[in-house]
Amino acid sequence: MTVLGEFALWIALPVAIWGMTLGFTGGRSQRGDLVLSAERSIYAVTLLLMLASAGVIAAFLGDKFEYWYVASYSNRELETFYKVAGLWAGQRGSLLFWALLLSFFSSITVFTNRRKNREFMPYVAGVLQGILTFFIVVLLFAKVNPFERLGFAPANGQGLNPQLQNYWMTIHPPTLYLGFTSFAIPFAFAIAALLNGRLDSRWITLTRRWILLSWFFLSIGIVFGMRWAYEELGWGGYWFWDPVENASLLPWLTATAFLHSIQIQENRGMLKVWNMSLVVLTFILTIFATFLTRSGLIESVHAFAQELRIAYIFLTFMGTVLAGSVVLILYRLPNLQSENRIESFLSREAAFLFNNLILLGAAFSVIWGTVFPLVSEGVTGQKVSVGPPFFQKVNFPIGLALLALSGIGPVIAWRRATRRNLEKNFLTPVIAGLAVVAVLFGLGVHHPLALTTWGLSAFVLVIIVVEFWKGTRARARIEGEGYAVALYHLVTRNRRRWGGYIVHAGIVMIFVAFAGAAYNVDVRQHVMPGDSVQVKSPFGHTYTLTYEGLSTSVGRGQRNLMWQAIAMISVAQDGKHLTNLTTEKRQYVTSQQPMTEVGIRSTPAEDLYLILSAMDDMNGALNADSSAQGIDLQVLVKPLVGWIWYGALVLTVGSLIALWPSVEKRRVAEAAPTGESVAVGAD
Amino acid sequence: MKKHPRFLVGLVAVAAVVTYLIWTGVSETMVYYLTPAELMAKVTTDPSFKDVGVKVSGRVIPGTYERVEGQLLHRFRVRDLEDPSVTFPVEYRDALPDTFTDDTEVVLEGRMDANGVFQANTLLTKCGSRYEAAPEDLKG
Repeated sequence: MTVLGEFALWIALPVAIWGMTLGFTGGRSQRGDLVLSAERSIYAVTLLLMLASAGVIAAFLGDKFEYWYVASYSNRELETFYKVAGLWAGQRGSLLFWALLLSFFSSITVFTNRRKNREFMPYVAGVLQGILTFFIVVLLFAKVNPFERLGFAPANGQGLNPQLQNYWMTIHPPTLYLGFTSFAIPFAFAIAALLNGRLDSRWITLTRRWILLSWFFLSIGIVFGMRWAYEELGWGGYWFWDPVENASLLPWLTATAFLHSIQIQENRGMLKVWNMSLVVLTFILTIFATFLTRSGLIESVHAFAQELRIAYIFLTFMGTVLAGSVVLILYRLPNLQSENRIESFLSREAAFLFNNLILLGAAFSVIWGTVFPLVSEGVTGQKVSVGPPFFQKVNFPIGLALLALSGIGPVIAWRRATRRNLEKNFLTPVIAGLAVVAVLFGLGVHHPLALTTWGLSAFVLVIIVVEFWKGTRARARIEGEGYAVALYHLVTRNRRRWGGYIVHAGIVMIFVAFAGAAYNVDVRQHVMPGDSVQVKSPFGHTYTLTYEGLSTSVGRGQRNLMWQAIAMISVAQDGKHLTNLTTEKRQYVTSQQPMTEVGIRSTPAEDLYLILSAMDDMNGALNADSSAQGIDLQVLVKPLVGWIWYGALVLTVGSLIALWPSVEKRRVAEAAPTGESVAVGAD
Repeated sequence: MKKHPRFLVGLVAVAAVVTYLIWTGVSETMVYYLTPAELMAKVTTDPSFKDVGVKVSGRVIPGTYERVEGQLLHRFRVRDLEDPSVTFPVEYRDALPDTFTDDTEVVLEGRMDANGVFQANTLLTKCGSRYEAAPEDLKG
């Protein structure tokens, strides 16, 4: 199976090159037979990449440690679930997985467009096969072939890093990759539009749902990563502005900008060059992020030297995409003129444009902070470092501006807002926001950033609620429906708009959670069994944590586990017993150091987060020595942190509402398959 | 856009604010990233350098790690990655990451105190996000 997989990967290369060539030549010469062949080659590559992926999984399941990749990421004791997930556990498999997902999306695109949008499809097929060719070339020639053999067969593999043996870590990379790869579809249509000269909003209409799908996967992919860091890394945070995290944030920022700016093009025929540039930029950033994650490139120049070949191949590809796109955009510049102009600062166009500029500013600051150490080293020879404080300092004000715009943008009038429009839409929300600030201030919340965030959050939420209320009430009156029915019809008649509002509400909830961090409590104490730690919550109550001792086990329990030491802690709130929590150290057979497992009690108000920082005498404790029970305990109280996950859930609901195919449009599409069936839910 | 200079001013203002944020952000939060050898050289030639916050990467010397019980204090010595003769003591008062052993490469952020002890505020171990080991080690 594995040999067959390797063979399939080699066959995929000429097929992909064939498809790419025929797509472009078929498009130019208008020859349907060539185009058909190009499209069918996408199905063939999909099949071959499925075989290759199956080969990798088979190697994992069969414990074939003669393969470098399997030996690095698996061992005999690894659970079957993680062996299958081995396909994306490391860089090599991830790259194959990336290509596989892209081939799936490409096949879907080719299949759904087999009888329509024919003027786009030759070039779409060509571009997609071009991207697939690139990834197959990387896999085969950049020393990252997952089928590379070690030259000997070890008795067992290295095993998977225990920190990766976590549910969230298993779904985090595939989700992000779904986001990265699905963005190739809008990119392919954009390039096709530049090539075939159909430069109205058609390519946007056709790919709007791909854009939203990609954005949705990027969003929850990032949140899954935060969740993993929060549960598994054991320091109580969820975001560290690590280069790898930043790499996944960058395409999200530009995709968010793009998602908004295309609405201006669709409604007002403006920003055509801008949208072309954004789709290209976002696509390049998805490639950049794929490249950067797990390569450690930014850490130091030394890592760069080790990965020279793959770095050059990736940089060449990104450079080619950039140069090619710029040339095409310049060539089509006369056809990309705006049909309208912005008339006023106080208009939806202006609000969306500011949103775009600020998002790109954020993206730029993240890029700058990430590469600044390299630039500085190159220019002055002096290596410097900018860390989380830099990103926070820059992105707090940017985030607040975006938060405000997420309320203003959707309700301010197009073209030019009148005084009446402003009063009607913003008077109540502004009053509500100020009232929230006043009440919180009265309750003792004096942190300026937190106050601003919560005030703005109230402002935006009230805008959204009022919009829903006004829409529902109007519908209930005009159609004579009950309020629940009216609300249902309101949303289903324009899923994109109302789904978008719900997504905004989810984002607001996430901001509310971020600001809660201003009131984090952090207590560290050395405790012996029977000792108590008092921790005061910002909500006023007091936790009493009583350490009841260590429960240890050696050589038992889960597979791969050498020993584990569990600190048992009984938690009381204001003197009343609440719950029991544990935090532990575990030693896996496959790793050199013990891992910390944290104990979390999560409520909507706050999380209580316990970390077993250190044991006084590990060997003594494991021998059940009662005098060796002292530990360092760290207790964190994290107000509102749970709202990140609730917000992500709301964001998911909103995205699904916006993505769901609308029933009427589908009926129309079935009646007339050549019609504009993809164009759903226009404003 | 030509007809609307006011609007252009708005755009330029946004760009200027972001640039300003990045500029001040870098200048206020930037720290030098030095090797132990460079840090020791700077401290000897310029004693006032002791108060400057720096980031240093070095390797923990095996056997030097001790934990001061009851104080949440960790002490160890690190050495330069290239020149093992350059070493200095470190004190760190926070939870150690799981990946810390007394033979890891660490990145410390903090400052050298008057007694020549490096007071670290943050400690990162440098095995990065690759989470993989070299299977060549399996041989033998």
